[in-house]
Amino acid sequence: MKDIANLVGMYMKTTAKSWFQYRVDTVLKSLAVFLRESTEIIVIYFTLLKFKELNGWDIYEMLFLYSLIFLTYGIMIIFFTGLRDFGSTVRSGSFDRFLLRPRGELFQIIFVNSDWFAAVGHGSLGVVLFLVSAGRVGISWTPALALYYIFSIAGGVLIQGAVFLFLASLNFFLLETGSLKELLYYNMRRFAGYPISIFHRFIQFLMIYVMPFAFVNYFPAQYFLRKSDINAFPEIFMHITPAVGAVMYLFAYLFWRYSLRFYKSSGN
Amino acid sequence: MKKRNPLSPYFAYAKKCFLNRSAYRFDHLMNILSTCLQIFIFWEIYRALYGNKTQVDGITITMLTTNFVLSAGLGAVFCPDDYFLPGKIWDGSISTELLRPISFKGRMIAENAGNALFNLIFRFAPICIIAAVFIGLCPPAGLLHALCFLVSAFLGWGVLWAISFAVQMTAFWLINIWSILTIKNVFVRVLSGSMIPLWFMPDWMHKIIAFTPFSSIYFTPVQIYLGQLSFEEIALRCTIQLVWIIFIYAIGDILWKKGQKKLVVQGG
Repeated sequence: MKDIANLVGMYMKTTAKSWFQYRVDTVLKSLAVFLRESTEIIVIYFTLLKFKELNGWDIYEMLFLYSLIFLTYGIMIIFFTGLRDFGSTVRSGSFDRFLLRPRGELFQIIFVNSDWFAAVGHGSLGVVLFLVSAGRVGISWTPALALYYIFSIAGGVLIQGAVFLFLASLNFFLLETGSLKELLYYNMRRFAGYPISIFHRFIQFLMIYVMPFAFVNYFPAQYFLRKSDINAFPEIFMHITPAVGAVMYLFAYLFWRYSLRFYKSSGN
Repeated sequence: MKKRNPLSPYFAYAKKCFLNRSAYRFDHLMNILSTCLQIFIFWEIYRALYGNKTQVDGITITMLTTNFVLSAGLGAVFCPDDYFLPGKIWDGSISTELLRPISFKGRMIAENAGNALFNLIFRFAPICIIAAVFIGLCPPAGLLHALCFLVSAFLGWGVLWAISFAVQMTAFWLINIWSILTIKNVFVRVLSGSMIPLWFMPDWMHKIIAFTPFSSIYFTPVQIYLGQLSFEEIALRCTIQLVWIIFIYAIGDILWKKGQKKLVVQGG
């Protein structure tokens, strides 16, 4: 156990060193990610400045809804950067190196590399949005609620981690999954910032059952806000985000174990 | 000796780019799908925002859709290659590029023009047709307005290209300009009206936007298309576009001349 902790410490140190090699560039990069992700927030701000509310959601409730996306992504990318970039790892053949080392493949992928720009950029935006909105949406925070909030975040992290793990496993069969990820994950994420009740039934179906972003932010946010548009969905959905995360991750992990057997090196 | 057309090498570059693009069909299809999805999201959001109202400030939902479709469509046509110069500075090939007996800037324009022509036929057209069939578009206000729209859209391309050109020139000093380009794109997306229709911006934002070139990119052509401007105003707006092109290009050109003296070639 202790030597695993040591190893993780070492990995973190080397990652930090390589990312902070060019200091000015690092600061600029984090700022650029922060601004790029703020674009959607700025758009929502100006839109609601004009229209006051979107299907009963005011600006702070919208920001609270959005904060969950950024917080979960910020935490998720600390662990799963290796899975996001897994396609190139397989194609360049450097996955062979992981196989030769005396530790689990997934363990190495998770801890060897972290995209700190994305983590800081998304994470800090999530924290800012949370601080701005959490006191103004009528939640009376109790320890129990705070605990459920933490579990929801963990669930959201696991859901997205499971999707990344699943897509990474597909790399063993397909080699190139970039555009699939673009379509399934990043495109769907654009919907996720809004209450899904405003969208077409087909999109709602995708957001709940195919790429379950609704469990990352809409349903957990509804647990705290209880806006009336939740009535269109089964009540249980508000309570099961942590379970959805755990189950999805378990299945993704089993699929990963299964797919590993089909790995053929692209090297020679 | 046979006299050669001095422009023929540039046409060759444009043609090469056009043909290059035809090779990646799947990628291309995904791009169109992604743009259509984006338009669809905006449409759904604004339908929810409008509720029962047929218009807000004299803007109907079809006019909004037209704004989004034309902005996204033109955006898909223009897309200047932000990494043209930085890429050549990174890998050092800039040194051989500068030795060629043709203008580097001319080649930059030619390659982008080839791309733009490809995008006009294979992206702009399908996007407009899909949008017109599924969600409905306004027709142009008149034949003369349609012609003015084409002129203004061409100038809009010029403005966006000039901005990209000028920003790319900072690569001579900073080498890695991913962050600056990303921040530039945030400004373009928010202030050009492609994500939030400029009609709905508050007054204080209009004052800021008036001092920037961004509304000249998509919003001026869109307003002309919808017939919101008289012909005197059209002449004025097109002149403003032209002035921005000249002004920004001039800044870029100064940087270009200084940058070449400063050029540090890595390796090679």
